[in-house]
Amino acid sequence: MRIENTKCECGHQNYAGTVLCESCGKPLYDDHGSEPLEMRYDGVARRSQRGNPTWLDRIWNFFSSVKIAIYLILITLAASVLGTVYPQENTFINLDPSTYYKQTYGTTGEIYYLLGLSHTFDSWWYRLLLFMIGTSLVICSLDRVLPLYRALNKQQIRKHPGFLSRQKVTLTCDIAEPGDQTSQEQWVQTMASVLRKRHYRVHTDGTALMAEKYRFSRWGPYINHIGLIIFLLAALARSIPGWHMDQYMGFIEGQTLKIPNTPYYLKNEKFTVDFYKPEEMSDKFRQRDLIVPKMYETQAVLYQCTSRCGTADPVLKEVARHPIRVNDPLNYHGFMAYQFDYKETPRLISVTPSLRNKQTGEVYGSIELDMNNPQKSYQAGPYRLELKSYFPDFGLDEHGQPMTKSNEPKAPAFIFTITGPGMEKGQPYLYFPRMIDKDTYRQDDVNGAVGQLLDLSVGSMEGVKIAQYTSYLNIRVDKALPYIWFGAAVSMIGLVMGFYWQHRRVWLRVDDGKLLLGAHTNKNWFGLRKEVAAALGKAGIEADPKTLETGRKTL
Amino acid sequence: MGRNRKWIQTAILLAIVIVGAVTLAGGLFKGNEPPKVGARAPDFSLSGLDGKTHRLSDFRGKLVILNFWGTFCPPCKAEMPDLEAAYRKWQGDDVVILGVNLNESHVTVSSFVDQLGITFPILLDSQDEIRKKYGVMNFPTTFFIGRDGVIAVKQEGQMEPGFIEQNIKNLLGKGQP
Repeated sequence: MRIENTKCECGHQNYAGTVLCESCGKPLYDDHGSEPLEMRYDGVARRSQRGNPTWLDRIWNFFSSVKIAIYLILITLAASVLGTVYPQENTFINLDPSTYYKQTYGTTGEIYYLLGLSHTFDSWWYRLLLFMIGTSLVICSLDRVLPLYRALNKQQIRKHPGFLSRQKVTLTCDIAEPGDQTSQEQWVQTMASVLRKRHYRVHTDGTALMAEKYRFSRWGPYINHIGLIIFLLAALARSIPGWHMDQYMGFIEGQTLKIPNTPYYLKNEKFTVDFYKPEEMSDKFRQRDLIVPKMYETQAVLYQCTSRCGTADPVLKEVARHPIRVNDPLNYHGFMAYQFDYKETPRLISVTPSLRNKQTGEVYGSIELDMNNPQKSYQAGPYRLELKSYFPDFGLDEHGQPMTKSNEPKAPAFIFTITGPGMEKGQPYLYFPRMIDKDTYRQDDVNGAVGQLLDLSVGSMEGVKIAQYTSYLNIRVDKALPYIWFGAAVSMIGLVMGFYWQHRRVWLRVDDGKLLLGAHTNKNWFGLRKEVAAALGKAGIEADPKTLETGRKTL
Repeated sequence: MGRNRKWIQTAILLAIVIVGAVTLAGGLFKGNEPPKVGARAPDFSLSGLDGKTHRLSDFRGKLVILNFWGTFCPPCKAEMPDLEAAYRKWQGDDVVILGVNLNESHVTVSSFVDQLGITFPILLDSQDEIRKKYGVMNFPTTFFIGRDGVIAVKQEGQMEPGFIEQNIKNLLGKGQP
């Protein structure tokens, strides 16, 4: 092990890895050079640079490297790019991802799926990357900000000549007779007041002076990092149950659906879509004969379930109502429903036929038949209609038995048992709401005698409810969003602090009538030179901003 | 100073490790993935055709055959009598069959069940929630859930009576290896 002597000639004990003495600023290495000094972090040792690393220090050192941070950011960037090549799994409404990618995108799609890129942003490795970036941010910042804070908090006024003469802005000249202590101190005081007028905080020590302004801009990057850490933590907090949800659901007009994993039910009361008229479209669009929607809107009602949730008859309480349009979501305490898409899906919702005596023409009453969930029995005047069977998509199987071909009311058929005057025992009655099915399956013949007596039918289109559209909504909950905004705001404040202000420092000492000045800033050197030259001018020394640049020592 | 510094460093690293573990664990056990064979069968409760609420975890300790079916699906209908036969045969050996109907109307389901004389519990997945939870895309799909609540077999498509029998025997530990 090498033991380094880190004690400066001024008597200050520095940490190993220190470049410039923390106290007087004397260069500890390269003592005799003349090129400008490396002033990064004021030459103090970064925490990770200190000697004898343990395994804990090694982890610390790994994450404290800016190079590692940049690699992590690049890898995350690449992963994010890959994650957007094909649609992510969570945007599917009703597709099997294991076959979808292969069928839609071929072999590359299958590889994409097998590599797990179809759920990049939920994957553990993506989270690990974000987490590592966060760790790197925290450690990189702490590694630098604490030593820097310490260095800037206790600066010595009288700096080593080697420190001053090797600043990027420096000047030496004679200002007084050697030995004229009073005039030297007077000049320093003049310079002090000139610099104070320029908003510098000035400290003097006899014939030495240190002036400093806008130190807070040095904290800009770290405040920016704090903002980013808040941002990242908020993003990671989305994995807390109930904090984040992002799913897509289709709502047929009139349909109420339960939102999975929430106590909410959402109903699409009505969906409307407006199309551009031909005269509103450009020629190109007209030629292509496109139907372009202008505006579409879902009249949505949000219910909260109070009991019997998840069953066929939950108890619901209306909590919100909003016409959802693109970029105008329903928002209920952070539960958001965005308009995403729509599809034309004409579908029967309900019919309201009336029961009529075929001979006398007397109408006994009407019943409302819901296509999704019809009741078990209905009453029309003196007649009771007991629903025995319901086939939403009627057909006959190979044995000639009635069956349903699908669960959608494409060709609904109802089998009732009617009881009432003249049919106390109950008679079966088959009912097809659609005229075409009624003819195809010869409803009147099947019903026989009852069909001669009674007629169940819809008089006009008023008795038929049809849902024309399915509205697709993006259901989102994002409790992390306020924190993400807060993090972004903090990060912006940090950026502004760092960008629009510069930390400027001017040191000078007069020894034997000879002035030695050095000045440092973290950016805008031109501005610093101008300011120093102007200040010197006010104090009686003509200096051209250009001559202050190192390597042009004149006078 | 040195000791203090080490302490702070350890504390910071520890905090980072905890945050990391929590987020990564959250990502791994999100529970939104459809269960695979060997995974624990997600619990649910549904109201049945009998009007009662049935909860999967109530059957823990028994062998549960979870069958997703609909009357619009001919192979589902075809395997129903075989399931019923198996239910009658093995009922006494702690074998439960749960038929999860795919969002059909009460009347449609009950008329079919009555017609076939099905006696095992039929549950109504009226919001399509459990189907999605189990990632069922093809019908019928049947899960054989062991006594420990872990999915042992997932079968898509119609099952032969022998297949049902064999799986029940295997899971009850009565089958030949």
